[in-house]
Amino acid sequence: MADTEPEPAEREPTGPEPQEGEQAGSEPGGSESTKSEPTESEPTESEPKEPTEPTDPKSTESAPDGDVAEPLTTLSLPAQLIIAVAIAVAAVAAAIHLSAAFLNVSPPNTLTKRHGAAIDDYVYPEFERVWKLFAPNPLQQNIAVQARAEIRTSEGGTATTGWRDLSAQDGAAIHHNPLPSHTQQNELRRGWEFYVGSHDVRERPQGMRGNLSEQYIRRIVMLRLGREEDGGTVERIQVRSATTPVAPPPWSDEKIDTKTVYRTLPWWTVTSDDLPEAKRR
Amino acid sequence: MTPSARLQTAVARGYTRVTASALGPRQSAVVRIGFSFTWLLFLVREWPHRRELYGPDGPWNWEMAARLIDGNRAFTALMWSDSTVWFEIVYALAIVSSALLLVGWRTRTMSVLFMIGVLSLQNRSIFVGDGGDNLIHLMSMYLVLTRCGQMWSLDARRVARRADREWPPRDTTGVVLWAVTGTALLWAQLFTDARLSLTADGPLPGLGWGTVLWGLWLVQAGWWFVRRYAPGEPRTVLDALANVAHNGALLVIMAEVCLLYASAGWYKVQGSRWQDGTALYYPLHLDYFSPWPWLADIMASSGTLVMVLTYGTVIVQVAFPFTLLNRRAKNAMLVLLMMEHLGIAVMLGLPFFSLAVIAADSVFLPTNLLRWAEARVGRARDRLAARAVWLPGQRTRESDEETPAGTLVR
Repeated sequence: MADTEPEPAEREPTGPEPQEGEQAGSEPGGSESTKSEPTESEPTESEPKEPTEPTDPKSTESAPDGDVAEPLTTLSLPAQLIIAVAIAVAAVAAAIHLSAAFLNVSPPNTLTKRHGAAIDDYVYPEFERVWKLFAPNPLQQNIAVQARAEIRTSEGGTATTGWRDLSAQDGAAIHHNPLPSHTQQNELRRGWEFYVGSHDVRERPQGMRGNLSEQYIRRIVMLRLGREEDGGTVERIQVRSATTPVAPPPWSDEKIDTKTVYRTLPWWTVTSDDLPEAKRR
Repeated sequence: MTPSARLQTAVARGYTRVTASALGPRQSAVVRIGFSFTWLLFLVREWPHRRELYGPDGPWNWEMAARLIDGNRAFTALMWSDSTVWFEIVYALAIVSSALLLVGWRTRTMSVLFMIGVLSLQNRSIFVGDGGDNLIHLMSMYLVLTRCGQMWSLDARRVARRADREWPPRDTTGVVLWAVTGTALLWAQLFTDARLSLTADGPLPGLGWGTVLWGLWLVQAGWWFVRRYAPGEPRTVLDALANVAHNGALLVIMAEVCLLYASAGWYKVQGSRWQDGTALYYPLHLDYFSPWPWLADIMASSGTLVMVLTYGTVIVQVAFPFTLLNRRAKNAMLVLLMMEHLGIAVMLGLPFFSLAVIAADSVFLPTNLLRWAEARVGRARDRLAARAVWLPGQRTRESDEETPAGTLVR
């Protein structure tokens, strides 16, 4: 670590300390008029510098490549123009990017209504931001996904298994686990959110995402149940969610009904598409 | 000085500031180390589950991913082939590139491979990710534009050691790495379904992944060529351009962190549970986010404590962007936010999310603190090295290592 040349950063006292000029929201090169000379701002630092460090602003600058750069002022006109254009491009690009980012997380407003398509075009698929964690309100109910199966027994009859609480299995895996896996914490939980978000109240799928989410849920369930269940072969499965509101805190005088509400999906016939391929082969 | 003259000097100063150096070399190094470490730890932790999460036969299988990606056109190398071998190669490359980015070996190339690894895995299975994954996703792209290997990296050490040797360097390793990545890219372009378009389906409208990846590859070549054969003005111009890109990307990273807290805070202000001071009680009682129920019970035993923490969370998040105007206030807020995320890591069982947020926060760490840490680590390593010299067999290597570190501390 850090055994690079002696302190090339002497010319750049605090780096991204915003009050040193690089204020959030300003563009590089766009608002220098308020900035102070780096060497002047040096003494304003509240904590003392490492006195042992050699101060050599012209030392082999601009690290990984090491060699000495010429002072910018001595550059030819074309070179200065290229750099000036680059600064302008970077400033405009940063401004556009941050505006899109802002409008991506802002509530629907005049601008997003007018330019919604352009913003979406810019933001998706790679610059989406999902940061509304626990906002405006944290989730206040436990949503458990449960499944049962209709099996064909070895004697040729059919039977229905009891409900298995797959979310409770996730919960048990997370219990006393300092590093929960995404397979335990996100797979079923977010898969179910995906299903709910792409279905109407009558369980009708909305477009391709609806169909994909059904297959996803079936495949998650079959991965966890297995082809064989209770000594028979699984032919159909049924999935339901059990939503239980979290009881209000003990110090609260709020009264809410903590009864579990079920949302039960129709039976699904299991096809080979629903089985994890590794098991089918 | 007249106003116009003052403006002129100000512009000149600003011009120098954004072109002459890549600002925040230590902060960008910390961000680099933070995100590569988080992603590396995640990949290693999920190693037993990798096929279930991202493999061709997981619950979200290859065909389903293909149908969704046909619609949203997200980038993922995992869609170039549905074979398990290809998946294993990509996963292994993601691990290796994270580790090498962490130690800062060939940072420019590794940051691109790191981005490819992050996008490939996350876009392959978007329904297993959470807010932490989302943050890593964004930062992996920004890191490509930053000169994040200037400090605390093997690259920096190589530069320091090379100072008294051959100049300009031939850099055989770099040339080989460039040839290998170029061949791989050509293979992807010609023999797979990569669909690396020049103008469509890229990270930004009108900019395809073909342009991005080939462009970065050509920049590498140009950089090497100019450094070796045109050391004068072209070298200076390239350096200035790289600094402008770095400073712009660093600004975007800082602004994104502000946006993260601002949006998280302002939306909470509107929530009834954040208003009545019980919000933190609820996540602690969700089965998916309560690895240590007894801890949650201790927390929930005091209504006052929950309310103070609930209000404190909102206040700190809403206030954070504004505290950047004052150095001390900013540092105090930074400590609070990092502590809160350490708490979230344990209490809610979200270690990777919390690590990612802390890595992003680190862009605001004060330079003095980072210098102090640097000196401490340097001294500790010197002591270790001094001790190690006594071990036979290691003598030559360790004494070699001691020289640059020694100059730093003395």
